[in-house]
Amino acid sequence: MLTPAVIKILVVDDNPTDRLVLETILRKQGHQVVSADNGLTALQLFQQEQPDLILLDALMPGMDGFEVAERIKKQVGEDFIPIIFLTSLQDADSLARCLDAGGDDFISKPYNSLILRAKINAFTRMRAMNHTLLTNRDQISEHNRMLIREQEVAKRVFDKVAHVGCLDADNIKHSLSAVSVFNGDVVLAGVNALGNLMVFLGDFTGHGLDAALGAMPLAQTFYSMIEKGFNHQDILVEINKKLNEVLPVGVFCCGLLAEINFHEGTIKVWNGGLPDCVIYKPASGELSLLKSRHLPLGVLPASQFNSRAEMYDVHVGDRLYLWSDGIHEAENHRGEQFGEQRLFDVFQNNSRPESLFNEVNAAVNQFIGASEHTDDISVMEITLVSPENFKASHVLTQDSSFAGPDKWSMSYELNPDTLRSFNPLPLMLNVIVQVPMLRTFSGQIYTVLTELFNNALDHGVLKLESATKNSSEGFSHYYQSREVLLQNLQAGSIRFDLDYQGGRKGGALIIDVVDSGDGFDYQNLGLAGGDVYSGRGVHLVAKLCSTLEYRGRGNAVRAVYSWGESAF
Amino acid sequence: MVLEHLDMESLETLREVMGAEFTHLVETFITDSDMRVTSIAETVNAADADAIRRAAHSLKGSASNMGALSLADLCRRLESMGAESKLEETHDLLEQVRKEYSLVREALQAL
Amino acid sequence: MAITSVISADGSELTIAVEGRFDFSSHQDFRRAYEGQPSQVARYVVDLQETTYLDSSALGMLLLLKDYAGGDEADISVVNCSDDVRKILAISNFEQLFTIK
Repeated sequence: MLTPAVIKILVVDDNPTDRLVLETILRKQGHQVVSADNGLTALQLFQQEQPDLILLDALMPGMDGFEVAERIKKQVGEDFIPIIFLTSLQDADSLARCLDAGGDDFISKPYNSLILRAKINAFTRMRAMNHTLLTNRDQISEHNRMLIREQEVAKRVFDKVAHVGCLDADNIKHSLSAVSVFNGDVVLAGVNALGNLMVFLGDFTGHGLDAALGAMPLAQTFYSMIEKGFNHQDILVEINKKLNEVLPVGVFCCGLLAEINFHEGTIKVWNGGLPDCVIYKPASGELSLLKSRHLPLGVLPASQFNSRAEMYDVHVGDRLYLWSDGIHEAENHRGEQFGEQRLFDVFQNNSRPESLFNEVNAAVNQFIGASEHTDDISVMEITLVSPENFKASHVLTQDSSFAGPDKWSMSYELNPDTLRSFNPLPLMLNVIVQVPMLRTFSGQIYTVLTELFNNALDHGVLKLESATKNSSEGFSHYYQSREVLLQNLQAGSIRFDLDYQGGRKGGALIIDVVDSGDGFDYQNLGLAGGDVYSGRGVHLVAKLCSTLEYRGRGNAVRAVYSWGESAF
Repeated sequence: MVLEHLDMESLETLREVMGAEFTHLVETFITDSDMRVTSIAETVNAADADAIRRAAHSLKGSASNMGALSLADLCRRLESMGAESKLEETHDLLEQVRKEYSLVREALQAL
Repeated sequence: MAITSVISADGSELTIAVEGRFDFSSHQDFRRAYEGQPSQVARYVVDLQETTYLDSSALGMLLLLKDYAGGDEADISVVNCSDDVRKILAISNFEQLFTIK
């Protein structure tokens, strides 16, 4: 038989004989007992001692058991403190009163120690179960809250980066589904040195942080390469390479890159994974389908990537339409999808090309009616105009809109699944470098993050002893055990909280790392150094940062990286 | 039905459970019950039905724990009378409680 | 949605059948279907006979399987695709990565 849990029990009875019998039985069963001979004392003891279970006499002079039970049940709220009435009350009314007052069970006199044991064990299990349920519920809602916050941060940061091009040009119309979190769709437009318009529509797998992590380097690569004069092919190769490096396997970006040459009347198109987009020629009613010829961006390594594009001749008045699969998959209340045919019907039935864009949107919205968007519905329209009529802001400099936010924070919690499968540091760094001031120091910040992460993982989560690294044999053994422990990791977590505050003259990045481990005695830190293999990480971080502070039992650390005229 | 003054079997179990505390338990019971019998007498004389019910209820509980089954049963009957406000026979029952308690007391002290 | 996996008599081929919608909600089950199988599995068959719908996260899961099964060396067939499913695989040009039957 399992050893029953030892708990703290409050016994309340005005009768000293019964109290003594009960106390003795309970102590013999290993429990801790506190007792009261009246209701008021019981309430005081309940506050002071926080018992796990209460055995309560119903009839007592002064405040009776019913009132005590009612008050206690009100106080504990969601927590479950079982109350067992001690009673030989025999009539149904009195028993009902016990239940109404919040009693969970009864034990009648004379006491039987076997029955007492069974009831206490049952209630202890119920209490543990209740506790687990509450904890799980709280964790789930906390995780959900964090997730939403992360996504909001991701969207804000991304919006800063993405909305700098020339999406506001007169001949460009676009819509992105208006969800509060970052949805995975990306629309970019910029003008290159030749005066050609480059447009990109992308659809990342996944939502939120995963997608945003890819979207930011994508947008940045797109704009900076256009500005620097790279061509269609170079940009694709580079975006694919970046995404392949940055994104975890299984996350990628379906996208179409088009270069519109207004002088020559051509459109160059590369489509990897987006559904057929179209060039529409209102004069003839002709629809040219821009078919996907390639794997999505980020899937293939650079050596296998194919950037071959297709050329189309166009004239003034022709229109290019780009969309993600969200438009095809938009569902009505019957679960039917909008589909390709309905989309092309809109083109067929159109009489005024100027209103086509609105008609497409209206058709989809009408179709889905009250039902929610099931995916991201993004549409982009570019109208061919004569070169002299193409007006776009050529401003693509790293100016105000690129300066990024003054204040910015993110939290990132890593669980065993993540820790086992990939290194999260590049992803975090990619978010951090979206703040231009931080980008300048990305090398040092990366070092700091790496050391803190490795310490949290090795010593906190995996519980490896740093001292074993002191010999070269131990050093290799250390990394072998690390590998094995990591592969079999089932529990533990590391949480990063990053908080950035700054301006043009200085700023600080506050990095908080908390791991699930036992911590260590950080008071005696500062001895290791020089030639020993271990402990160097902490010294390095201490040198790079203005503050390095271990907290709690040593499982939490705060590092402040600051520069310029920072207040830190 | 005739009940024992003291149910030796349950008393034996109680002695096992209490161990060294058993003597203390007996003393506690006697001290407490002396007072409770007195207070039952007061409530009966005052003809206070609810007070009779409460006083009898309390002694009933400890008597049953001590294996004084006959005493517990008398208390139960007295408690019911209090609850139902039927006070005609309470004086008679009080006398029985007193008599039974003194027997139980003697028996316990003789252990 | 149900995912079942069957291993061939000689242990060299694992067939994973996906029933219903193949989307992000299948992520755990799909992974479980191939992880922890005997190491002599050399060929993987993903049977989409009963698959009604497939989205881009399902494509991501196929990539994860490919990665697990040895990357470029992996031998993975995707079989019994409906026209709709085949179309999605074609748009993404997944026939370059998988044998699609």
